[in-house]
Amino acid sequence: MNFELTEEQRLIRDMVRSFAEKELAPSARERDEEERFDRQLMFASLAELGLTGIVFAEQYGGAGADYISYAIAVEELSRVCASTGVTLSAHLSLGANPINLFGTEEQKQTFLVPLATGEKMGAFGLTEPSAGSDAGGTRTSAVRDGDGWIVNGTKIFITNAGEADIYIVFARTDKNAEKHHGISAFIIEKGTPGFSFGKKEKKMGIRSSPTMELIFDACRIPAANLLGSEGQGFAVAMKTLDGGRIGIASQALGIAQGALDIAVKYARERVQFGSAISRFQGVQFQLADMATQTEAARLMVYQAAYRASNGLPYSQQSAMAKLMASETAMKVTTQAVQILGGYGYTRDFPVERMMRDAKITEIYEGTSEIQRLVIGTALTR
Amino acid sequence: MKILVCIKQVPDMESKFKIAASGTWYDSADLAWRMNEYDEYAVEQAVQLKEQVKEADLTVLCIGSERVKETMKKALAMGCDRGAHVADDDCAGKEPYEIAAIIAEYAKDKGFDLIFTGMQSQDRGSAQVGVLAAEMLGIPSISTIVTFSYADGRIEVKRELEGGVKALLKTRTPALVTCQLGLNTPRYPTLPNIMKAKKKELISLPVADLLKVEARMETVKMYFPEKKGGGLVLEGDPGQLADKLIQILKEKTGVLA
Ligand SMILES: Cc1cc2nc3c(=O)[nH]c(=O)nc-3n(C[C@H](O)[C@H](O)[C@H](O)COP(=O)(O)OP(=O)(O)OC[C@H]3O[C@@H](n4cnc5c(N)ncnc54)[C@H](O)[C@@H]3O)c2cc1C
Repeated sequence: MNFELTEEQRLIRDMVRSFAEKELAPSARERDEEERFDRQLMFASLAELGLTGIVFAEQYGGAGADYISYAIAVEELSRVCASTGVTLSAHLSLGANPINLFGTEEQKQTFLVPLATGEKMGAFGLTEPSAGSDAGGTRTSAVRDGDGWIVNGTKIFITNAGEADIYIVFARTDKNAEKHHGISAFIIEKGTPGFSFGKKEKKMGIRSSPTMELIFDACRIPAANLLGSEGQGFAVAMKTLDGGRIGIASQALGIAQGALDIAVKYARERVQFGSAISRFQGVQFQLADMATQTEAARLMVYQAAYRASNGLPYSQQSAMAKLMASETAMKVTTQAVQILGGYGYTRDFPVERMMRDAKITEIYEGTSEIQRLVIGTALTR
Repeated sequence: MKILVCIKQVPDMESKFKIAASGTWYDSADLAWRMNEYDEYAVEQAVQLKEQVKEADLTVLCIGSERVKETMKKALAMGCDRGAHVADDDCAGKEPYEIAAIIAEYAKDKGFDLIFTGMQSQDRGSAQVGVLAAEMLGIPSISTIVTFSYADGRIEVKRELEGGVKALLKTRTPALVTCQLGLNTPRYPTLPNIMKAKKKELISLPVADLLKVEARMETVKMYFPEKKGGGLVLEGDPGQLADKLIQILKEKTGVLA
């Protein structure tokens, strides 16, 4: 058993860290305030660094690296800018990976290659107004029409929406089937007639990442865009989310680490009662807890990533890692604000943003309750 | 064209340094290591030159323990073709003359057209290695360059002098240049290139085979400057304070004549 990162993983970490600190950090606050997505900075430059297809095979435009490298990349981006972290995670884990897992060779050539190289950006549309935690409640429909499908319905809360070029969309193809069995997955391109975008959400956190509605109004897509087999959609979604949870867990881990680093630095510099507040045991104990929880989360995230890379079952571990890392991110960022006192509560320091950003990690790609449900069901089956 | 770039692995300068038990260098335990900043400019320039002339072979050389190989991998991921690692666990104990001699011994009959080094290392800061190595090899060297261009066996570089003055210099190859901040923006080693770097040649040579000189100087002591006494607190009403301050500035500094 080996807990050391490999040389490549360390080089990847250093590279992404220096990119994040030099390029992302300077505008993170402003992009948050202006709720502005910067495609060049937050996506095109990731493509130049080879991050948009980290885990995919070289023959499909990827870098052929492992899931730990991917986790490290999302972690390091999120340490500085959680919006950029989720942009990559939603693109890679949710937009591109279902094609990698379930696509035909032709679909991989047509869609996975440009996604992996970052020429195109991906997104994932599962959630609907009446289908949140319960994806089986999907109402968006796809009806066979000659050599194509006609899609009708609305998806909400879709990360990367509007910006992304390729969307994995889930629709009910069989009204009579039992609820989880009548759903199918489709690849739908931006610009397809009948496909438009609705409301852009105004959010608490990750405000530099766009979240929008997808609207399908008699949108006709070719039969070749069915992903996986008809009725397999629910399985496609669940398998995709297993991997996606590693991405979100890494995002949460990065947010926690970022807040911890700032809190440690601040505590060493801030003087009250004649000494640095880091000298007070009450503050040291808080920092100790924050660091311990963050490290525990890291071990779980890397473990889940290791399993995913090595062909071992990992649904349980990725649910546990996501649960643990997101709750850690929430605790650590809240404590970081506390350690920075009044300054932490202002926008002059990034910890208030990190605290707002941390919250979403307990909600998307399965709320903490749903992670417990996944873990608990498997335990008691 | 054959190009050599010499790099050094140094601690992250944000580290909390401690003096080693020897008292002549810093303690290397618990430090994070990276490529010397000036050497990043050297690597970037060497890679740009290779890209410009197309037919070039670019070697990166680094002296140090096994640990420095990671920094060499970064240089390989940035675009160097091969690595020459001079295995030496006591690199920090060697003075610049010895380091330069090792480089010169390695380079002497390999026909490098251009050698790039950093202007200085961030941890020793002697700024001697590149220039000494060039002397030993009998080739011209230009230090602290901020621009670089190459055409037909000639290089043209700018150096930055005090007060913002620049100097333009030309020389023939073979030559050595030492690179200063501002020369270029080093590229990030992309992820696919990091993956490819592990397949590139990286040979290790024992330092004993290359070190043929004796040290000419030694570091006697390394230490943190003593903490200066507390500042001077002036008291009195504002008029008096201003007079006292002006007096002190006149007597103790050159701020007021
Ligand atoms: C910023 C943002 C980005 C998003 N990005 C995407 C995206 O890219 N693609 C996508 O498809 N979706 C996306 N989502 C949607 C997200 O995944 C859902 O919001 C989430 O799954 C929860 O669904 P819901 O909001 O409908 O909440 P609900 O399902 O209504 O849940 C409400 C509450 O009830 C609890 N609950 C529900 N069922 C149970 C149960 N069985 N046992 C115990 N408690 C339960 C939940 O945990 C929660 O606390 C995004 C959401 C946001 C806010």
